[in-house]
Amino acid sequence: MLRRKRKPSDFSAEIEAHLGHETERLREQGLSEQEARAAARRSFGNVMKVEERFYESGRWLWWDHLRQDLRFGLRMLARNSGFTVTVVLTLALSIGANTAIFSLVNALILKSLPYSHPDRMSTIYTRITGSRPSDERHKLNGEQWELLRDNVPSLIPAVSSPRTSGVNLQAGSRVEYVLAGRISAHFLDVLAVQPVLGRNFLEDEDRPHGPKAAILSYSLWRNAFGANPKIVGQAVSLKGEPYEVIGVLPEDATTPLNADLYVALQPGRGGEGGGTNFECITRLRDGATWLEADAEINRAWQMRNQRYELENNPGAQVTYHSVPLQRGETARLRPQVLTLMLAAGFILLIACANLAGLTLVRVMRRTSEVATRLSLGASRWQIQKQFWIENLLLALVGGVVGLGVGFAALRGLLLLLPEHFLPVARVPLDGRVLGFALTVSLLTSVLFGMLPALASRNVDLRSSMASRAVAWGGSLRLRQGLIAGEVALTVVLLAASGLLIRTLVHLETLPPGFNPNGVMTAKASLDDVRFHDPAAFRKLLVESTAAMRQILGVQQAAAGLSLPYERTLITGGLAIGDGREAGQKAMADEVYITPDYFAALQIPILAGRSFSEADGPDTQRVAIVNQVFARKFFHGANAVGRYLDKDTMIVGIAGNVAMAPGIDPVAPLTNEETMYVPAAQIEARQLSLLHVWFQPSWIVRASGPVDGLTAQMQRALASADANLPFSGFYSMRDLLAKTLVTQRLEVALLSAMTALALLLSAVGIFALIANIVAQKTREIGIRLALGSSIRQAMMHIGAPGVRASALGLIVGLILCAGVLRAMHSVLYGIGVYDAPTLASVVLALGLVTLLATTLPTLRIARIDPAKTLREE
Amino acid sequence: MSTQETRERLELLQGTLDLLILRTLIFGSQHGQGIARAIQQTSEEELLVEHGALYPALQRLEERGWISAKWGTSSNNRKARFYTLTAVGRRQLVKETAKWKRLATAIGRILDPAKGD
Repeated sequence: MLRRKRKPSDFSAEIEAHLGHETERLREQGLSEQEARAAARRSFGNVMKVEERFYESGRWLWWDHLRQDLRFGLRMLARNSGFTVTVVLTLALSIGANTAIFSLVNALILKSLPYSHPDRMSTIYTRITGSRPSDERHKLNGEQWELLRDNVPSLIPAVSSPRTSGVNLQAGSRVEYVLAGRISAHFLDVLAVQPVLGRNFLEDEDRPHGPKAAILSYSLWRNAFGANPKIVGQAVSLKGEPYEVIGVLPEDATTPLNADLYVALQPGRGGEGGGTNFECITRLRDGATWLEADAEINRAWQMRNQRYELENNPGAQVTYHSVPLQRGETARLRPQVLTLMLAAGFILLIACANLAGLTLVRVMRRTSEVATRLSLGASRWQIQKQFWIENLLLALVGGVVGLGVGFAALRGLLLLLPEHFLPVARVPLDGRVLGFALTVSLLTSVLFGMLPALASRNVDLRSSMASRAVAWGGSLRLRQGLIAGEVALTVVLLAASGLLIRTLVHLETLPPGFNPNGVMTAKASLDDVRFHDPAAFRKLLVESTAAMRQILGVQQAAAGLSLPYERTLITGGLAIGDGREAGQKAMADEVYITPDYFAALQIPILAGRSFSEADGPDTQRVAIVNQVFARKFFHGANAVGRYLDKDTMIVGIAGNVAMAPGIDPVAPLTNEETMYVPAAQIEARQLSLLHVWFQPSWIVRASGPVDGLTAQMQRALASADANLPFSGFYSMRDLLAKTLVTQRLEVALLSAMTALALLLSAVGIFALIANIVAQKTREIGIRLALGSSIRQAMMHIGAPGVRASALGLIVGLILCAGVLRAMHSVLYGIGVYDAPTLASVVLALGLVTLLATTLPTLRIARIDPAKTLREE
Repeated sequence: MSTQETRERLELLQGTLDLLILRTLIFGSQHGQGIARAIQQTSEEELLVEHGALYPALQRLEERGWISAKWGTSSNNRKARFYTLTAVGRRQLVKETAKWKRLATAIGRILDPAKGD
């Protein structure tokens, strides 16, 4: 603030000098001293006004006024501490919720990926038109990869395994289960990540059967190898074989896989490359354009031999296009996050409606203060300014507290998330989030300040000076309207979270098809050269399960490639081997199991038999299919004794088991066509590939709690193979929770916000009624004196709240009819218009309304008619 | 009483006071009351300058840097704040005068088209 150098006293002195000169001049003209002084003053005009103009023209004036208004505002807020606390709390909760959710939106959607020039990074989407249109990220097969690598000069392309897999790493004397990501030669170049030690993979290391090399993450290098600076060039024992460490990644480096270590993917057309198993990322080369790149991709991929996209989709047009990696990586979470942001927006609106109501009352109460100030010469603008400054103060205090609440909420939320659930490494509270919180605070203050400011414009001086009474009618309507609005939004949130809760309940109580109680499971990595030999693999399974069966209290022990609730291996290329359906192609989940798998999980065998030790590598190849499989491919006819692929005989039908979907994702848990095969009959060439993708589980069923069960399981495994660590131990409940984590999170977050909305609505109704009671004490006194019962008076006073809430409920239900349809795709097991949900919404709202209107009217019982009549 | 009150005088047009002050100061530095007198006398008592209006105008011109001020002693030995035209003020005066003349001519043409000069 630039203060002017000239002081007001100097200015006054000048005026005094002027008057002196003028008086003297007039006296010289013959006027008396007195006359001359008066004439000088007259021709000067109003001295005070001139001095005021001088003062006001100073640049410090608005600052003065602001300081004065701020001081007054703070005093007013401090005096009405109840009001202030309510407003600040409301603001803090709503701004906190918004800040937390916005941080997610920011991290997932707005923030650039943590790589250099993220705008040049992309992934490839496949757009299919025709009878079954789609536009999504597909994984690539080996043929696509080779064409992309060799024929698209505009891009640096790279592929990786879609997810990490467990591998055994020898670190010192111990073998550890760590997560490995498999990446192609230029994967780290696409990410623009340079190792701090060593180098990235060379193309030679990425050829099938190329040299075995590994790149360590910084944390693994530090934790398992003591940050050994000479690690590069040394061999480590990984998957039972020596791998040369060629690099260590920087401490802050992230990749889409976030693995402990990386090995070369070595993609080719055969084996793994025969199916679509590679996740693709690309970086645009300098000087190239996306248009050129897309044209090259389309040209390259149109000349493929195997165009799987066209299978089962005749007449479809298939094109490919680049999509920013940011969008590709976050597509999965985008709708959920935006839904939550919308819900948070609702909260903000509800809070604003409440605050508008509260401040309106406050402004009304201050009518006489306003009138006094007006009559003392304050301009309307000054009065308005005072109100706005108070609102702004509230909003800023609320915003700052809200930021704290948001930070805490975000921390809590991130703790809830399983590791690597979000495709970003951090959810920061950065400048954009702070800016958002500030903007929201200011916006809120404008929103909730507007109504009262408008209402206070028409203060009539005479009438409001005369009485303490407050203009009612119009403002009551207004407040009822506000409450109806917030109740309507609350109803939508209630219905939405109700539907999600019902979905979650449906999924969690879905008949699992097995008995999850008393089962403990653990995974181990068999992606190890020792187990590429089927005989060694069989021996391991037999000996380890036998040892586990010896544990006191354990009834059954078995092993299988995957467990219920998990994703499974999908086998394409099956064909029905005989009968009417001979030659028909089939696709199914495939699970290899030891003979006791069904017994351990208590999955019923509905027809035929289970596997036995007799189903070995040299006997008839056998399979057990589930009911869904039998129904789909054999149309209800007895499948036992039928053949798959000529050589595999179906020997039994098992009950359906809830699995994570793979073939056709329609729900988080589903009964898919499943085929079980004996672990002993898995062929050598399949074995290694299977174990690259999947880490099999050991299953133990105990009759009751067993002391140190997990330690005993590890010992049992060690008795079969001393260097095989388990990854961790999970009950079936853990696995279910893991599968449903998205649903649980959605429910938790949306429910929390709904609860907040409901609370705010209740506070709004409560405040309205409490206010009416306070305003109408005298009227109630008269009513009571005239013979009204307390109950009647309570109903009379509470009615406006009930009416507002009922109106809001109706509007909300109408809104639901439109809004809830958008939720169709996330609901399972229930319809969009779910009667029990809607009934609960009405019931919950009714209860809350009843509470919120009744509690403040209880005060009526304490009103003494005689006393209130004597007042005023 | 003097003639001041009997004659009807013209009120100043918006913005012309600044110009008159600058013009008055071209003859040398002067204090506020002197400026007021000078304007009244030079205009042959036609213009009404409310003395009070003069000082905020002087303050404004001083802040813009067109005039500078210094306390001194007047001819009749009274303390007074003397204003002096600065170089910037002088340039501004030339500019404003030209502008004013153009305006006056244009208005003159409209009000008295017959003359057509």
